Order: sequence, then C-alpha cells, then structure tokens
Amino acid sequence: MMRGREYPWKRRPGWWLRNRRYLAFQLRELGGVICAVYGLILLDLLAQLPVGASAYTAFLNLWRTPPMWYLNLVLFALVLWHAISWFMLIGKAQPIQFTRRPLPWKVVFGVNVLLWLGVSGAVVYLIFGGI
Amino acid sequence: MADAEVVFRVKRYRPESGARPAFQEYRIPYRHDMVVLDGLNYIKDHVDPTLTFRWSCRMGICGSCGAYVNGQPRLTCGTYIRDVHKGAVTIEPLSNFPILKDLVVDFDDFLNKLASVKPYIVRKDWGDLSKEYTQYPEEVEAYRQQSLCINCMLCYAACPVFGQSHEFVGPAASALALRYIRDSRDEGADARLAQLNTKTGVWECTFVGECSVVCPKDVDPAAAIQTLKFLATMRHMRRLLMPGAASR
Repeated sequence: MMRGREYPWKRRPGWWLRNRRYLAFQLRELGGVICAVYGLILLDLLAQLPVGASAYTAFLNLWRTPPMWYLNLVLFALVLWHAISWFMLIGKAQPIQFTRRPLPWKVVFGVNVLLWLGVSGAVVYLIFGGI
Repeated sequence: MADAEVVFRVKRYRPESGARPAFQEYRIPYRHDMVVLDGLNYIKDHVDPTLTFRWSCRMGICGSCGAYVNGQPRLTCGTYIRDVHKGAVTIEPLSNFPILKDLVVDFDDFLNKLASVKPYIVRKDWGDLSKEYTQYPEEVEAYRQQSLCINCMLCYAACPVFGQSHEFVGPAASALALRYIRDSRDEGADARLAQLNTKTGVWECTFVGECSVVCPKDVDPAAAIQTLKFLATMRHMRRLLMPGAASR
C-alpha cells in the first residue's frame, strides 16, 4: 500500500542507456522485430514473382541501390546479434545436463554456433553450389 | 588513520518538506579499507544525523543495506570505496521502489509477492513431528543456490521489466519459489506453479539477465525463472494430457 508521503518511482526515458547490458538486451529485442521485417521483405519478393520478370528485376535492383545496401547491412547486423545473443542464453535458459553438473553455457553456445554455421553453409551450397 | 578525503553525493528525500529528491554532498575522511556503509555511518555519526538508511549485519547476510552506488545496485556493506571511487561516490536509493526517506524505500509490494509464492515448506500431512525429515546431500544441493537469497532487492532494482510493470512477481520471489519447489520435503509445487504460470508471473520475464549480474549471493534468479517457465509448461501439458496424473 502506498503511504502518504512516499516519493513514487518513475522509470526514466533512456534507462536502457544506463549500462551496456541493458543496451545489448534492447538491441536483441530490436533484432527480433528486424527478423519479422526480413520476413516481410522476403514475402514481398515472392509477391513480385507472379507479377512478372520486370517487377521481380525492379525489386532486386531496388535492393541493390546503395541506401538499401547500407540498410541491409544494419538489419543484418541486428539479426546476427539477435541470433548470437539467444545462442548465448540457451545454456542458461535451459541447462543441458548429462552428468551432475549442467554443461557450461559457453559449450552450449559453441555447439549452437557450429550447428548454425553448418546449416547456413548447407543453404549457401544449395543456392550457389548447384544441387 | 585517515590519509585522504572522499566526496559522498547522497540522494536525499525529506518527505516532510514536499520537495523532490536531491543530492547532498559530504566530504569525509577516507581509509583504504572503508566500505560505502562505513562512509554513510561516518556521516550519520559525525556530520549529519538526519541522513536515513537501512543497515544491520555489515557482512552481506541481512540484505538491508542495498543502494545504487555509482549507478549500480550494490550492498553498501560489501562495496569498498576504493573499488568505486571515481572522484565521488554517488549513492541513490534502489530504483523501482517508492522512496520513504533518503535511502530507505518501501518494500511492501515485494513482501506481498513473496507471500504469494508460499516461501515455506508446504505439506498435506506433517505426520509424526517428533521425527526429522532427513535429506541426502544431493537433495540439499538441488535447492542450495536459491536458498542463499537474502531478499536484498538488488535484483528488483536492476530489473527493467519490474520497472515497467509492477505486477510482475519479480526475480527474488521466483527464485525462492523454485527453492521450495526443489525441496524434497515440499508438496506445494503445484500451487506455486499455478500462481507463477500467468502473464504477471514468470512469463513477464524477458530474460534481460541483469538480476543475476547484480545478485551478491550468486542466486542466479534469471536462470531460476527460466527453469520455472519450463516446470510451469510441463505442469500445464501434464494437466492437459493426463488430467488424473499426480501434480508433482
């Protein structure tokens, strides 16, 4: 119960700049939104296909312009941070235990990164390798 | 023997004045082995007896001397001035709580939340109370980490989710709920998980993780909350798929 002369606490704007861990968290959450934005971009790409070859080419050309190139870099960095920061949390969120002590989070992180690189390599090979 | 001086910038709130909290500076003698609480006690004893703050044990057990020291929630009894002294030591009351006076904040909200998760052993039948409820070392180890919580509230002060939504049950209450759920003598897991498996329970946590960073006892409340999410999900699925099964 609030007492008469208490000074109520209010969260300051910009609280997430108070330390680097808050900032890392906010960027991680923003990265989640950016993942959804990427999904929408890909859906838009698919939507161009039935319109015709010229619409598809125009779409690709738009995304090859310098402003879009830089935007893509920023978006990609945020998605990358989102993925890496969640890999860092997996071992803490759900400890994996084969013996008395759970696996250290760094081991779980490393395994996830290796799997990620493997799957990404397979996707790149499928696209550019010519299977 | 004091060999230097240190400046303490203490945020003060005088409820009788009606004014907003403001910083007041004190220049006090400094020794290499002083903790921040020593400085506050020096001010109280020799400079300004109206300065108000909580403290008791001076050895990181009672959990009553928490405050923001140079922008980080810390126990003032366990923080050496030499480790945080950068021109001045700035001391503020713990954030996310209403201020009663100076560095003293109102914890009533937390105490209600703590009571809601039944932080004690629950049994349907206590049986013969003249006998001990013995435990093996590994059974004690299962909840030892969470049992170290001293309710210092640093985790609540560091939690931006609690700062946004005071309905959130919060880190320490969740960690203590897990402490009793993991206790082999306890039979109250189902009631606690029902209490925590809500929007304002453990699901409000977005895993910022700062609660575990500032915890002076390495309780790791962030991990405790994630474990509770898992247990709450398992309980929900069990009730969905096997309505007649045992609750634990």
